[in-house]
Amino acid sequence: MRADASFAVPVKLWALLCVFAGVTIGGNVLLTCILTGGALLYLVLQRNFRLAASYGCFYLLLALLLYGIRFHGLHMPVFSEFYVLMFWNLSPIFLVSWDLITTPPGMLSAFLSRLRMPTPFILGLLVVFRFFPTMRTELKGIGRSMKNRGLTAAGQLLAHPVQSMEYVLVPFLLRVLQLADQLSVSAVARGAERPGVRGSYYEKRAGARDHIAAAACAIVTASYLVLERSMA
Amino acid sequence: MIELTHASFQYENSDRGVRDISLSVKSGECVVLTGLSGCGKTTVTRLVNGLAPSYYPGAFSGSVRIDGKDISRLSTWEIGRLVGSVFQDPKSQFFSSELAGEVAFPCENYGLSTQEIRERTDAAIEALKLSHLKDRAVDILSSGEKQRAAIASVYAMKPKVFVCDEPTSNLDTAGTRQLAQTLRQLKEQGFTLLLAEHRIDWLMGIADRFLYLRDGRIAAEYAPEDLLLLPEADILGMGLRSPHEGKSLPAPSVSDESPAVLRTAGLSKRIRREVIFDDIFLSFPKGKVTAITGQNGAGKTTLAQILCGLARQTRGHILIDGKKARAAVRRREIYYCGNDTSTQFFTASVAEELLLNTELTEESKDRARHLLKEFGLYEYRDTHPSTLSGGQKQRLAIACAIFSGRGILILDEPTSGLDGQNMRLVAERLRSEARNGRTILVITHDRELIKSCCDNVVEVGTKPSEVQ
Repeated sequence: MRADASFAVPVKLWALLCVFAGVTIGGNVLLTCILTGGALLYLVLQRNFRLAASYGCFYLLLALLLYGIRFHGLHMPVFSEFYVLMFWNLSPIFLVSWDLITTPPGMLSAFLSRLRMPTPFILGLLVVFRFFPTMRTELKGIGRSMKNRGLTAAGQLLAHPVQSMEYVLVPFLLRVLQLADQLSVSAVARGAERPGVRGSYYEKRAGARDHIAAAACAIVTASYLVLERSMA
Repeated sequence: MIELTHASFQYENSDRGVRDISLSVKSGECVVLTGLSGCGKTTVTRLVNGLAPSYYPGAFSGSVRIDGKDISRLSTWEIGRLVGSVFQDPKSQFFSSELAGEVAFPCENYGLSTQEIRERTDAAIEALKLSHLKDRAVDILSSGEKQRAAIASVYAMKPKVFVCDEPTSNLDTAGTRQLAQTLRQLKEQGFTLLLAEHRIDWLMGIADRFLYLRDGRIAAEYAPEDLLLLPEADILGMGLRSPHEGKSLPAPSVSDESPAVLRTAGLSKRIRREVIFDDIFLSFPKGKVTAITGQNGAGKTTLAQILCGLARQTRGHILIDGKKARAAVRRREIYYCGNDTSTQFFTASVAEELLLNTELTEESKDRARHLLKEFGLYEYRDTHPSTLSGGQKQRLAIACAIFSGRGILILDEPTSGLDGQNMRLVAERLRSEARNGRTILVITHDRELIKSCCDNVVEVGTKPSEVQ
């Protein structure tokens, strides 16, 4: 996804509110495909082709499963009918919320700065966005080191489960502390403690394209609600 | 520009620190702090950027003035406008996922207008030659690019002073050369530079003065030409890295008489569509130390992890003593000592770490004791590994590799943060292990280490392009 093709953050929040309202107020589960279609189009307009294509394929699979369940009595022991229906129903929320949380952190912090949110809150949010990918790398590193030192043998894991857990947790927690310290130093040395309002590189005012997108979200949701009421 | 007068600092609950530092750095000058690990280089940089004592608590006396201002009267964010800091490991200090956001971070903190932030950020990205990476995620940049991104972030704020703490510890030769060019450019633009660094050869031609610190005090001051004239015995005695730029490496041996204990046949690795390396045939002779070199991002670490059975190859085989060896077999035969020590230790003390997964006998305890003494870690035997300094952790990781008893050792950048004395200690030990029949592979950019102990050099090629 390119940052310049991305809708403004208020539009993304509005889109989430719309699909959330549609899914919770509307009662026709099958017709949520209108909202999902709208959500996929919403991703395409932001040039998020990869997510739109991959989720589109998954959604088609869900449609086939639903068809099998409804007309051919398909029964699956693992991924039961309940889950198929749940994924089908919640798909628009998944898509729009995933788009929101994968917004470049700079854009989110710019939006929060405009709302005059306190700097510690904004920095905390930025850290959260950095935390998960960093920690995933660290955990991989710990797993590799344990393997290297022969600490992941089945015998070792079964005979000493608590100790094995400790081997993962202790270096992991120490690393979290170390990273927290390094991030704090980096922030302090770069003026994070300065009082007052932060500026923003990604400052982006909503333009005509954003207003049209926001209106389209409302129209699609309202159309879905009207249609499903008329069919009730 | 920088004026330290009888500055002393001792960290809280520690005997570490610096004493009676008087130092004057003129505007536009480049001064390098060097010396053994723990001599106080980093602490001096922390006094200049105000992190000691404001962030690192401790007892401070004397005065530090930057551009005529007593920084004890300034808050940290005010000091941040005067002094820009570049730290050792940029990757764990990034706040933004994108390069532009990271470079803009300090300008955003200082509340500049969007227009000005964009102008400064774009100018800094261009000045540091990072324009082609502007929309890239910082996580996928090479180490050299990350270091330049960190400098760009400071550059965007236009501070008067740049303070860099061991900026080359994660850089290859090309990355170091690029950094040297960047610093030369900053100096030409009139910025004042203060660097703490072990590796000093690359700073010849940039630095105006070298200050040698010992036990927290400035013990000597050298002009570059004086340092170059120092007899080798003096350099060794001071525990310094060589100031002479490594010009030649030992030629790779074409026909080594030693039998190859470890071989790769058509080894390839791809991650998604990206080729890391393709169809490589390598041979590592028994009882020799082989250096594996190559640019940052060439796939050296991936190769090492595959050889050790810690990662999977896409294609090809690995043979030990002429027989195809599965990953599980390789893990029993080969020990991997990674560059990042932060995830390598699992126990509560240095001694336990060395003895981890080893049968406890009088003989093994004796060996461990001897090794700890040799690596200068015996006095820390009951200390938690996480509390050791960077250099001590690196030495402990190497000691664990040696103690493992496996026949083949692969060490990834084992000397990146070590001073001259410890680098030579490690080199000597690797040589002696090879003499005793062990096969040692060292992934390194350290030309001094290669000269000191390596028999062969294998260069892993530059990164191939993406598969079409």
